[in-house]
Amino acid sequence: MRTLRLASLLFLALPAGCGGVQSALVPRGAEATEIDALFWTVTWVSVAVTILVVSFVAIALWGPSRWRNIIADHWVVTVGGIALPVVVLSALLAYGLIVMQVGAARSASADGPGITIVGKRWWWEVIYDRPDGSTVMSANELRLPVGKPVEIRLESDNVIHSFWAPQLGGKLDMIPGRTNVLTLEATEAGISRAQCAEYCGGAHALMSMFVVAMPPEEYEAWLEAEARPASEPSDEAAERGRTLFLENGCGACHTVRGTDAAGVVGPDLTHVGSRRSLAAATLPNDRDAFARWIRDNQHIKPDNLMPPYGNLTDGELTAIAAYLDGLE
Amino acid sequence: MRWERLPRPRALGYAIVIVLGGGILLATAWVLAGAYNVAASAKHFYVTDRLLKLVLYRSVDTYSAGIEVPPLRDAGLVRLGARHFVTGCQPCHAGPGMDQSPIAASMYPAAPALGNNVEDWESRELFWIVRHGLKFTGMPHWPGEGRDSEVWAVVAFLRELPKLSPQEYAELTRGPRSPGHGFPLDRPDLMAQCSGCHGDADNGPVASLAPSLNGQNTAYLIRALEEYAAGSRESGMMEPIAAALTESAREQLAQEFGSFASPTPSPPDGDSAERDARIARGAGIARDGIAQQNIPPCLACHSPGKSGQFPRLEALSEGYLIEQLNLFRDGTRSGTPYAEIMAPIARRLTKDQIADAAAYFSSVERGAREAPAAHAEARP
Repeated sequence: MRTLRLASLLFLALPAGCGGVQSALVPRGAEATEIDALFWTVTWVSVAVTILVVSFVAIALWGPSRWRNIIADHWVVTVGGIALPVVVLSALLAYGLIVMQVGAARSASADGPGITIVGKRWWWEVIYDRPDGSTVMSANELRLPVGKPVEIRLESDNVIHSFWAPQLGGKLDMIPGRTNVLTLEATEAGISRAQCAEYCGGAHALMSMFVVAMPPEEYEAWLEAEARPASEPSDEAAERGRTLFLENGCGACHTVRGTDAAGVVGPDLTHVGSRRSLAAATLPNDRDAFARWIRDNQHIKPDNLMPPYGNLTDGELTAIAAYLDGLE
Repeated sequence: MRWERLPRPRALGYAIVIVLGGGILLATAWVLAGAYNVAASAKHFYVTDRLLKLVLYRSVDTYSAGIEVPPLRDAGLVRLGARHFVTGCQPCHAGPGMDQSPIAASMYPAAPALGNNVEDWESRELFWIVRHGLKFTGMPHWPGEGRDSEVWAVVAFLRELPKLSPQEYAELTRGPRSPGHGFPLDRPDLMAQCSGCHGDADNGPVASLAPSLNGQNTAYLIRALEEYAAGSRESGMMEPIAAALTESAREQLAQEFGSFASPTPSPPDGDSAERDARIARGAGIARDGIAQQNIPPCLACHSPGKSGQFPRLEALSEGYLIEQLNLFRDGTRSGTPYAEIMAPIARRLTKDQIADAAAYFSSVERGAREAPAAHAEARP
């Protein structure tokens, strides 16, 4: 009975897995659209082949003797068993190769300096290169201009990770000591999700991020804002939060441009308040989540590199959360 | 029924059952009746005494096998051990030329008055006894779990003990005290107790394991005393001392030590190229950290302008810094919120890097400090 209930639950959950921000079945990128067509072609061809084979088996078992005599003939084996598979599989192979070739051709079409994503334990460092040669450090969120192929360079300085934004394209590994290049082109504005797709340690499942595709002009404006130093605290609580942030040594690991905090171990927090999530899409981005993360991060994401700050009082945490939340 | 009728083996069986069963019954009755006299004044039989001593000697020898003895001929280590001996051991074991306390002499077994009899034990055995204590005697185990280096300080002193005259002993255990220190404590003797190991405004610490407290952040000093008193920071030497302090005494002591001028560093002297190289590497760790190992710069927290709960590290002794980083690394110094911040970072340092950082901090003055290098957006 319990198994039955569980099975029906799983069955009900199946269609739910096919939609949503992390579904490869809802393509919103050039590469994903091509992969999507390939996927459905292969799926439907497989369905047709399966129906054909099952029909032949059924005839062989239960069909009238006249039909069985026909399928027992040599030409059925020659055509159905050799010629048909060769034609179908070769066609699919050719189709797959063409899709891959188109992907390779797209990488040549990428203009602009591109974006570097570095896999960390367990978060993403996202570095936007700008045409003037400057870079903009960010983390745990990828923004893309719609309609422009962007070169994404994938790196890692620890273990092997894999970058996969299913709505935009295929997955590609991030391998220490080498740079893999992926070209992504968002075809419509919207928010989707990327996930680390190669087991990289205990908190692997909690290594995600949101991918925000924006109209090109909005993207440029956003990048301009992202390049600016952090905003000043807007009220007294946030002001106290900044003091506490700096006093407690948060700047040892985190950078907040425009302050003394210049750490390079953890994510850049200059505009952390404007991101859609905290801790690589582990928590929502709100004040409660900031406070929880600072004090209790080892329970939320075990073995991540940040120490828990159990020394801070509730009031101090609230102030620091107010400060970080205001860094938009 | 007559005995002759029973076959021999069966008769033997009955006899065994009757004797064993009767014995157990008698023993139970003897225990429950309280017939055994546990009085310390009622001595063991001679044979029992010999047997117990044999068990003790054999046990200490067996369990201390394989303990490696570090170098003990270190004047600082001996002095540190001597200072602890006065408060921790002398009350029961007496010192050279002293009469043993009648109370300790009335223990059973009596705490041995220590003198030449220390020679009966090897250093590893003395270490084991001080570290683990002895069951069914008054000998306690070391209160600071994981603080073996403190125990070795005591052993280093015990090795010297038989050679000491009463005058030398008094000299060694008294420690440097500045006369006429106008310290407004509830109990002025407390300051003398602290400075006996940690030094004071005029004298340095007695051993590299004992940190100078001069000019240290008072918030940190108060917290350290609280953690020692609560047992959340391990030390067989500091825990009993801190536990005996009142809250106001802790604050006054912290204020007093914090007001002293910071200790004098031991700068690179050019005599040891190895140390100079360590200092140079340590400076890099202190100022920039090691990004590839996810190690942030030490000075990002341990510098002026940061929380007073983070201790200042400059001009502390190399030995103390290495010891503490190793305690963070091996999990001995853990369990407090602040230790939870430092421990994961200490674990990312190699033993060599720990020595480098310690060499650097021991060599620099506390005031003369360069700001951590700006490394925003520094990417190779």
